[in-house]
Amino acid sequence: MGVIQRVVKPRNSRSKRALEKREPKNIENTKQCLFFVGKKASEEMRRCLRDLYSLRKHHSLHLSRKHPDMAPCVDILPVERLGQKHDASLFCYVARTKKHQNNMVIGRMFNHHLLDLIEVDVSDFRSLAKFNNPKGAEGTKPCLTFAGPGWEDDAALRTLKSLLLDLFRGVEATAVRLQGFELALQFVAVDSKTVLMRGYSIHLKKSGLRTPRIELDLIGPCMTLHLQRSRLASDDLMKRACRQPKQVKANRVKNISKDVFGSRLGRIHMTSQDLGGLQTRKLKGLKKVEDRDGADGGSGGGGGGGGEEEQMELE
Amino acid sequence: MADTDSSQRVQEILTQATEELKSIKVPNDDQLEYDLGNLLVSNNNTLDETLTRDPEKIDSYLHNLARDSIQALLNRVWELPSERIDSDIYATLPKPTTRLPREKPVPKPRPPTKWEKYAREKGINNRKKDKKVWDDVLKRWVPRFGYRKIAAEKEKNWVKEVPSNADPFEDQFAKAAEMKKENVAKNEFQRLRNIAKNKKIKVPSVGVTGNEYASKNELSMAMHHAKHATASRGKFQPELPNEKKVKGLGKKRKIEFTTGSGQVEKKRNIEVLEKMDKPSLNLDGAIHKEIRDENVAMDLKRKGGKVYGRRSKMGGRHRTKSDHKSLKLGTGFQGKGKGKGKGKGKPKGKPNVGAKKKIGGPKMQGKGRPAGKGKMKGKGKGK
Repeated sequence: MGVIQRVVKPRNSRSKRALEKREPKNIENTKQCLFFVGKKASEEMRRCLRDLYSLRKHHSLHLSRKHPDMAPCVDILPVERLGQKHDASLFCYVARTKKHQNNMVIGRMFNHHLLDLIEVDVSDFRSLAKFNNPKGAEGTKPCLTFAGPGWEDDAALRTLKSLLLDLFRGVEATAVRLQGFELALQFVAVDSKTVLMRGYSIHLKKSGLRTPRIELDLIGPCMTLHLQRSRLASDDLMKRACRQPKQVKANRVKNISKDVFGSRLGRIHMTSQDLGGLQTRKLKGLKKVEDRDGADGGSGGGGGGGGEEEQMELE
Repeated sequence: MADTDSSQRVQEILTQATEELKSIKVPNDDQLEYDLGNLLVSNNNTLDETLTRDPEKIDSYLHNLARDSIQALLNRVWELPSERIDSDIYATLPKPTTRLPREKPVPKPRPPTKWEKYAREKGINNRKKDKKVWDDVLKRWVPRFGYRKIAAEKEKNWVKEVPSNADPFEDQFAKAAEMKKENVAKNEFQRLRNIAKNKKIKVPSVGVTGNEYASKNELSMAMHHAKHATASRGKFQPELPNEKKVKGLGKKRKIEFTTGSGQVEKKRNIEVLEKMDKPSLNLDGAIHKEIRDENVAMDLKRKGGKVYGRRSKMGGRHRTKSDHKSLKLGTGFQGKGKGKGKGKGKPKGKPNVGAKKKIGGPKMQGKGRPAGKGKMKGKGKGK
């Protein structure tokens, strides 16, 4: 149910639905990504952008207009405004600067404000079109692989890994068709400043077992990313952004277990009870008498057990 | 011979078959990190430097690396619980383990409204109402809200009874419409009040709420009225250097036409005159006064002295008999004069008794101070 508290109410249900879609929710929509071009991007870079866009065809917008005044590393406000307009929280921007011919900026936003961004220089680009192999259908969830120790060690690379994961993972899927694996993307951190990207198509071959043998076929896009400037999120901003609502967190079930036979057992915890103080039928012979030796006094009441845990069988 | 050939052949086929079925084993697959929810596999082992530096061998090296990683990942995926839907086998993926930042902050639950709090306290539950209600008058199911509700209501209430204590000429339909409008407005007000309460904006319980975003005009109006609400009606209120007065406020003045017949103006002036408390006209006194003034002026002119106006030295008593005579005979006067329509020169005939001819000279007004109260000529202290 939409929780819109607006002074001006939406006039019809269509506008109401549009507003509800953009609201913050417990379980969020898949992030929308903006692909747009800055000033004077070369033909190659524009093709590179289109290739990345096709990898994330659904949940992304390719803006056709050029934005010559944009410079995300310098002034992020226009990008934030664009993001707010299209309700997009990821962006990929391509331009040509004096220092770098093939400049690309990948960034992410939280609540329509910049969270983090990384500027890379693209070289050795091989487009999807260059490879003549048949490609998989657009919009399939790719298998991602990151190779190299730098992904864990370096702060910028860690952010880049998170960004690339966000960018390419697609929809958060609960189930996946076993015959449907078609795309694999590989990111290799050669050193702390260089990342190689490769794209493969997956072929499932017979292996005699249930699990197939995987064969990969290079289909592109292939490129080398050289890390340049970066704006990483501060620790507390990242913490705030990663906070999950309570409803999404899994509830642990306590005190219920299964025994070997498959019957469900429960555990009940009791406070310790002084069973000596129980009200029972009073028998004179069983009364506790002092200074009496022998077994008579010893054989006292045989009333109930102690205050211990009992494992009771549940239905 | 045939046997060995056939057995050899069988062997060949078998070896071929086994070669085709290649292994799915991946060495060191427990060294990789898996996030099955995201279909992500990370290999943190150091890369072979010699191969990565070599541009010829790097592609095949990466290819093998990728193949092994993906094989390891999909081995794990195939081990997941799966279900069969319409001839396709689907593996149920677990939740992703990599923590990615959210797009928007966690939503805060809406605080309950005043009514909701009260209902919760009293234990009032909201019962869902059906859209259609059986109407006995119309003998059909009528919508309670939404499409065609008003049409049905109109059909039902085509006539309205005038209650016994009401004015017979009052429009009951209009009254009902008015009530409905008021209800809608009250509802809207309460909704906005709830929102304001949630956003911690203070709203007064009585009276008109001020508009937080008043326009420039409204603010100027408010300023104007505030200024004029003083004891001096805004006359002595200080102003800011660039403060502009709003058009259309202040005392309204109807500006009369300057063209057209002057009848209105004339009428107004006469009315004013009639209202005034006029003393009775002392014609003789006026004549004598006039004559005296003229005589004095003539005297002085003849004698070569200064010509004063009405006020002259000695009160104008310095006159000879001949002066009087000459005047009475109407030989005219020789001073400057402003007559009605008459120019300079010797008028013939009797002096026009009724007309007031003023002899020239500096006009003295009031108590003899120079004209223009408060105006200072020359250098003065400016404001």
